[in-house]
Amino acid sequence: MSATAAQRFLQDAAVKSADLVHREIILHGLESYDAAVLRGRARFKDWEAARQRCQEIKREAINHLDRYLLQFEERVIAHSGHVFWAANGEEACSYIKNLASRHGVRTVVKSKSMVTEEIHLSPALEKAGIKVWETDLGEFIVQLRNEPPYHIVTPAMHLNRGQISELFREKLGEDIHGDDPAELVAAARRNLRRAFFAAEMGISGANFLVADSGLIALSTNEGNGRLCTSLPRIHVAVTGIEKVIPRLEDLAYLWPVLATSGTGQPITTYSTLIGGPRKPGEPDGPEEFHVVLVDNGRSKLLADAEQREVLHCIRCGACLNICPVFRHIGGHSYGTTYQGPIGSVLTPHLRGLSDFQHLSYASSLCGACTSVCPVKIDLHHHLLHNRRNAARAGTTKFSERIMFRVWRYIILHPQIYALTGWLARRTLRLFYGLGLAGSVVDPMRVWNRRRSAVPLPSESFRTRWRKGLATN
Amino acid sequence: MQQTENSSRDRILERIRAGLRAPAPEPAETSSDSVIFESINNPLQRFQQECVANLTECVLTADTMASALQLAKVLESLPAGEVFVQDDLSLRSLIELACSSRPIRWSSQGAPSEASQATVTLAETLIAQTGSILVTASCGGRGASVIAPCHIVFATVAQLVPDLQTALRSAFKEGRLAHNSFACVISGSSRTADIEKILVQGAHGPRRLVIILQSGN
Repeated sequence: MSATAAQRFLQDAAVKSADLVHREIILHGLESYDAAVLRGRARFKDWEAARQRCQEIKREAINHLDRYLLQFEERVIAHSGHVFWAANGEEACSYIKNLASRHGVRTVVKSKSMVTEEIHLSPALEKAGIKVWETDLGEFIVQLRNEPPYHIVTPAMHLNRGQISELFREKLGEDIHGDDPAELVAAARRNLRRAFFAAEMGISGANFLVADSGLIALSTNEGNGRLCTSLPRIHVAVTGIEKVIPRLEDLAYLWPVLATSGTGQPITTYSTLIGGPRKPGEPDGPEEFHVVLVDNGRSKLLADAEQREVLHCIRCGACLNICPVFRHIGGHSYGTTYQGPIGSVLTPHLRGLSDFQHLSYASSLCGACTSVCPVKIDLHHHLLHNRRNAARAGTTKFSERIMFRVWRYIILHPQIYALTGWLARRTLRLFYGLGLAGSVVDPMRVWNRRRSAVPLPSESFRTRWRKGLATN
Repeated sequence: MQQTENSSRDRILERIRAGLRAPAPEPAETSSDSVIFESINNPLQRFQQECVANLTECVLTADTMASALQLAKVLESLPAGEVFVQDDLSLRSLIELACSSRPIRWSSQGAPSEASQATVTLAETLIAQTGSILVTASCGGRGASVIAPCHIVFATVAQLVPDLQTALRSAFKEGRLAHNSFACVISGSSRTADIEKILVQGAHGPRRLVIILQSGN
């Protein structure tokens, strides 16, 4: 029988957290990120007020989602664009596949889009014989490695320059000496330029859908998103229904806040707005423009009023970067499209609570994620909500339910609690004395097998209290 | 225009409406009157500072002659090859003054070629807050600001606005976004930090963004 998602998560997390090379790469990357974000936030007169404003913008959009989506659709159609509503990934993929086959598309260039990862668009197109090039450098690297993105903003964060240089030599046949990042970037640029000019279809995501103007807003630093949406004959923007915002002016807050939280920049280098195919008189641009609005479980999450605000997420990655769990187990261990705290909250909604409830426990509930979220999603409380919902739905394990019953009984009976504590200390002392700390028979094995054994107090807290701790 | 087949559209909208019947809990805090961004007292100075920070080369010139000289200087520093120029009267005279012997492709002749060495365009607006330029499809098209390794922008100080909000508001009100299929707020050269968070310029687009900013006529 194949391992469940929860078993795989535990195995992968255990391996990754013991991988010291991985840890060094991640911590090095996040150190520069932390410093850049601090500098970025200092540019605001009032960063908290900026978060508050962005929360309000998204709150208004999500709580009037039908109205703003219809307004967006009407404006896009008025500018000769097409809007397709996909209930799930399959509908989205088949719309794009049919479009590609109608136009004889053989090559697609893609800019970064987590929704396309979520709906597995690239494998669907490849299966139809279409060559798909990921053009964001990080995505290009993980595509060459046949891996999913490691992080929603920096997909190849887990690799160092030596590994990337080796990969390019092997997969691109590039004659690269050394591992200078500039040389590696130049090699990727050379290879992808050919694809940009050959592709008949460009696929992008959208960071925001602007309702009052019928524009998609796309943030990229590399310019690959610009080329994907300028050179091919057809442009398809694939995005979640929750990306809509009411007004163009809202971007005056959302763009700086997204960039600051994502990379520490004041604004992303190319903050692009696209409202349709090229107009008469414009020298270039696609002849067709399609927006694919993907539901894929989002309307179900919308119906959960308590957790509706999870749809406010602007995918900046700040909650991943700050999370002590993510920093140790890395992005791939989650086994999901969206990693870190936002992924742990969102995935049970998109892919089923019973299979992904374990992610609600991939957190120390320290609240760091909530403290940095630029749209103020109460992430760690939503993890608790998911835990509660899983318990209510009866999807927790029988052994877990029994253990909690026993625990409840013990803590409600002080004498039994004292006796259990005394017994536990005695037993553990015996195990430790026999050198069995961390062994299979050690009840504290989960902790002790990788760490020095938990020190045991000589007496209980209760005894110490009686002896005068209270008066100290 | 061909109508898009949308069999799930009504179903999704119905689900959204049904979902929204239960109101979301009220947020813990409500908006304060706090000012989010520092006010910008000297837009030109701020613009120049931001350009330094985002690695844009901004050259301030006094008049058209000085701008032409700067343009000639930048063009001389580039490898031989075609230059793509937005077909605009002011740029035609600037190019003429710059006396460049390079082959010129005008935007009225179509899109820039892959081999273009540089692009010369105008901008709609300059944004002091972020040291950015706002371009639209009218500024030589979509590819003009991203295909060639060097993008040269000719602008005047009068085009400066203090912040993003002013730029977006006026672009919306004046219908510039409705009349163009594309707009972009550009804040520096194309870049990536995907490898070990080390900044490399010229990822897919221009390695250099040069703004010739003219203060007089």
